[in-house]
Amino acid sequence: MSTVVATVAGICALGAAGLLPVLATVGLRWYSVPLAPLAGAVAASLAATASLTFGGSLLDWLLGIAAAAAAGVCALLVVRPELGLRGGPPGPGRGALDRVAGIVGFLLVVMACAWSLRGLRTPTVGFDARSLWLMRPGWFLHGHTQLLVDMRTRDLVLTQSSYPPLLSASVAVAWKITGIHTARLGVTMVALLDACALAAAALAVVQVGRAAAARASRAWLPLAVGIAAAVLLVLVAAGVTEPFLTNGYADPLWSLAAVGAVAYGLQMRSDPSSRAAAVVLVLVAGMTKNEGFVTAVALVALVAARSIGMAGLRGARDRLVAPLVVAVCELAALAWWPVLMKAIHARGATSTFSASQDLAHRTDAVVHGFSPYLHVLVLAVPLALLGGLVLRDVRRRAEVGNDLWAWLALVTGLVAVASALVTGSGAIGPWLLSTAHRITEYPTLETWWIVGVWTVVAVAGLTGSGADDRSLRHAGEAAVVEEDGVGAVGLVGSSR
Amino acid sequence: MTVVSTLVAVVGLVALGGQAVRGTRTVDVQLAHRTVHDASVDDAFYACIDTQAHSLVRPGQTVTLGGTNLADVVTMIKGFGSWVTVADPASSADVVLTLHDGSAGPGTCLGTTVVATTHGPDGRTVVRVGTGAQVPGQGPPPAPPL
Repeated sequence: MSTVVATVAGICALGAAGLLPVLATVGLRWYSVPLAPLAGAVAASLAATASLTFGGSLLDWLLGIAAAAAAGVCALLVVRPELGLRGGPPGPGRGALDRVAGIVGFLLVVMACAWSLRGLRTPTVGFDARSLWLMRPGWFLHGHTQLLVDMRTRDLVLTQSSYPPLLSASVAVAWKITGIHTARLGVTMVALLDACALAAAALAVVQVGRAAAARASRAWLPLAVGIAAAVLLVLVAAGVTEPFLTNGYADPLWSLAAVGAVAYGLQMRSDPSSRAAAVVLVLVAGMTKNEGFVTAVALVALVAARSIGMAGLRGARDRLVAPLVVAVCELAALAWWPVLMKAIHARGATSTFSASQDLAHRTDAVVHGFSPYLHVLVLAVPLALLGGLVLRDVRRRAEVGNDLWAWLALVTGLVAVASALVTGSGAIGPWLLSTAHRITEYPTLETWWIVGVWTVVAVAGLTGSGADDRSLRHAGEAAVVEEDGVGAVGLVGSSR
Repeated sequence: MTVVSTLVAVVGLVALGGQAVRGTRTVDVQLAHRTVHDASVDDAFYACIDTQAHSLVRPGQTVTLGGTNLADVVTMIKGFGSWVTVADPASSADVVLTLHDGSAGPGTCLGTTVVATTHGPDGRTVVRVGTGAQVPGQGPPPAPPL
């Protein structure tokens, strides 16, 4: 079996595991296609964690989890048939042009993602990929007793083996079902998961264009710009994440998944489908790497806060309970692996902190180390300020969430990564030199997504100057006050 | 508002387009001859020591990664850490694997060979050298991106 066939088999296996839960919660959407393998990867991660916790093989647990999820979905549809597979979003924008834009946007984003993976023609396997991410899959295929030894024994110097398992578990699934245990297959599997996260995040921008077009007098313009921005963002993201996009590193996956989670959970209109997409992407980010875990925990809190909004705080029970239950379940799933690492005394599970007198010096070094990779902020901050001050009504009409949510998510992720460096015990200079370009991927990409969304919103502003603009604006505001908690909270960008 | 919309849209699209072009060039670097060569040598080196380790360890045997050189231990983890059965405690291992870094020659992986130390039933120490693969040239392999 060739590596290409084995990779397709591995991705299809993950997609099969995640398909039903995604269809039931996200619905029949174009962005469900890349989300299905990612949901399967989450199932593989949970299976690896369960295997280490209780014993049993990784594949048995994956089959069990996938079967349980499928049975749960079927049972729910029998008991509550009205839930069905979620159809299209309510409101305008369901015309032929919108449907064509959905198809064209999906195809172009997929083509751009495929083009961005051409680096796979070079058989590169990154240092960390070979020493950790593509080495642990073999451990997950060992028996439970040996896996415990692998994770614990101090004779192996590898302290990073306690990192979250999603990536290695996904590769282990591909190794197991194909019988091919090669680093090359691991690299291609990881690259395709990266592409799925990238496609999902980019398709959110296509959705923003479709939502904006629904209330625009010349609908084709926001649709076209939404698609163009999404395709350009794919190419931008490939540049930001290479060579790690195609050499088996974990940083692109958690960064792109976190960007997608922000797009669906905090930037797009808040509806059940987008919130479900955000859940999948948050779990992928949090189960892939420690930095992703910290960022994902913050994103869980932010998405829950947006869903609850002022209505929930004022006592609307339905706005309060469901988001809290979802958030608690997400946190439980995310916390399982790190808690287990502590419980079994795994190598690298204990934290080390530097002496306090180093903090000022280390903070200064981190600021200077990160700066060259974050120059896009010089563009994005004034653009977002201008948009927030002048285009806020257009943003609301386009049903885009308040920009401050995305900025909060960006700052949270940046602070989380910077804090790990500042409080860590490793020599800060070499540490920054070898990691700064990788661990700034999330804030860099998030900033570009903010630019992309504002671009689509601005184009919607150009098309909304027709005679019927006033009535459309009132309709848009009414919908947004209902949907978006931030509008009622009154952060920057709110006209209230 | 129209002026600001136009400004934001134009600036956003131009910035995205410019960065997309830069991104495309960054990806193209991965296809450069030097990058492909370095990746191929790196791949061949680790495949070589993996094959040599397989020639030294029978199924079911427990292994410890010996030696005092941290870089060698990391190289062994990268080469065959995924499939060896690590012994716990290390002293109970059936086989101690180490790397011998010497000069380039036949039967070596860029000058490196995998060496197994075992104890026979009579207590005698047996040292064997890995076989089955070689990569000509002198190591270490080109450093991949960190």
